[in-house]
Amino acid sequence: MNRSLERQRNILDFTLASLLRRKGKNLSLLAIYIFIVFIIASVTFFTTALKREALLLLSEAPEMVVQRLSAGRHDLISHDYAEGIAAIRGVTAVTPRLWGYYFDPTTGANYTLLVPPAGTAVPGVVTVGAGVARNLGLAADDLLPLRSYRGESLLYTVEAVLSSESELIATDLVLMAAGDFQQLFNMPPGFAVDLAVSVANPRELATVAGKIVERYPDTRPILKSEILRTYDAIFDWRGGMMIVLLMAAVFSFLVFAWDKAAGLSAEERREIGILKSIGWETGDVLLLKFWEGCAVSLSAFCLGVLFAFVHVFVFSAPIFAPALKGWAVIYPAFRLTPEVSPLQLAILFFLTVVPYTVATIVPSWRAATIDPDAAMRQ
Amino acid sequence: MRRPPLLFFLLALILSLSAVAVAEPPAPGKNDKCPVCGMFVTRHPDWMAIAELNDHPPLFLCGPKDLFKFIHFPGKYLPQTARQKIEAVHVKDYYSLSFIDGRQAVYVPGSDLLGPMGNELIPFKSRDEAAEFMRDHGGRPPVTFGEVTPQALLELD
Repeated sequence: MNRSLERQRNILDFTLASLLRRKGKNLSLLAIYIFIVFIIASVTFFTTALKREALLLLSEAPEMVVQRLSAGRHDLISHDYAEGIAAIRGVTAVTPRLWGYYFDPTTGANYTLLVPPAGTAVPGVVTVGAGVARNLGLAADDLLPLRSYRGESLLYTVEAVLSSESELIATDLVLMAAGDFQQLFNMPPGFAVDLAVSVANPRELATVAGKIVERYPDTRPILKSEILRTYDAIFDWRGGMMIVLLMAAVFSFLVFAWDKAAGLSAEERREIGILKSIGWETGDVLLLKFWEGCAVSLSAFCLGVLFAFVHVFVFSAPIFAPALKGWAVIYPAFRLTPEVSPLQLAILFFLTVVPYTVATIVPSWRAATIDPDAAMRQ
Repeated sequence: MRRPPLLFFLLALILSLSAVAVAEPPAPGKNDKCPVCGMFVTRHPDWMAIAELNDHPPLFLCGPKDLFKFIHFPGKYLPQTARQKIEAVHVKDYYSLSFIDGRQAVYVPGSDLLGPMGNELIPFKSRDEAAEFMRDHGGRPPVTFGEVTPQALLELD
């Protein structure tokens, strides 16, 4: 036991020394290898972290939202619909919601305007998100000027700025009272933007949605599961686009690695011949090549994953953010929750380390089985 | 003449407290298993049924069908248990997913919904709810607690 451990250690020692002898070649291989692992790991970490954040946000979302359609487009929905839907068996509550977007031409930013439920907001007073406050240089007790859809200039007192912890959800948010909202957008009373419908038994969601469409053919019920699927698809699509764009880099690495790993140079062939002639066995040579592959790919894997982790979770992925996050004037300043699942690491490992190690073994096995005399003469 | 109202008040208090105790069925632990099929009941919270016994901690069952199996053959699943020992049964109303008295509930067998143990008896507060459910999900005519016989259970399996 001790002896075989000693043998492994000696061979590993020799491997590292021989890697160091061809410093330039091996270091450049390592650098490119690290870069590839870094790119792939960054994309996976970033898209899964974004998906997780979206999931967290949507866990609070209503199970079903009902919109009214007019000529196939989203329109205001009357409160009468809410009463009719609440009468459907299995529906526990219907909440009319008021929310919308306000484009601020002076800064070019879009704000999300929302009326908090249960009438907690005071007329004439608003609460703004951190991004809105930064964009306009607002603090508590300042005035927020908005221009209504009838052309009037309206002034609202800023009661408070939402804390920075809620930045990802609430950075572009303006909370206001229902009356102010209706005045700003010139909306008739008795109408909502959409209805949030809660159903106690999730098995009944599809049945309830069917009954809503049957009773009100001009409505469109949207289930939370559909929204989740759409988010998943969007992030997967963006992540996939990134990978496709970087495909050229990945392929060139593959070619490079294959060339380096699969074809042994004449010099390496001679080296194996000499090792065999001074008494190394085929198994020892294979062990040497195995350790060589492990040393290169494991350190590349560890460093690449580490750099990707720092890049994504400490610096919020500055390299991919524009491509993966979408575009807006107000960006939330947020840091993603660091979380890496063992499954992700396993997938990365099997995509990068295992093929490389295997690719190095086969040609050395072929070289190690030939006659040392012939190898040295070549 | 002051005593009767006070007594009456105390009596009313005790009655209302016991009513609260009946309305609030016990909650299962993570490791509670259905005595009939052996499944963990917290994995399927929407179907859970509860049987309260007078000399045993409450039993949590994975669905109304297993509850009736237990009621008809209690000794088979819990040795030395007679049917008389079952004090109260709770099932979950399909539409509200809140517990109701299992003896007052109406059950719809043979609908297109499957519970954790396959075909189920779907419990409802009222016959109106059962009738509306049958328009959406089919099923055989609704039955009351006393009408669920061992024969009816066999037809479900």
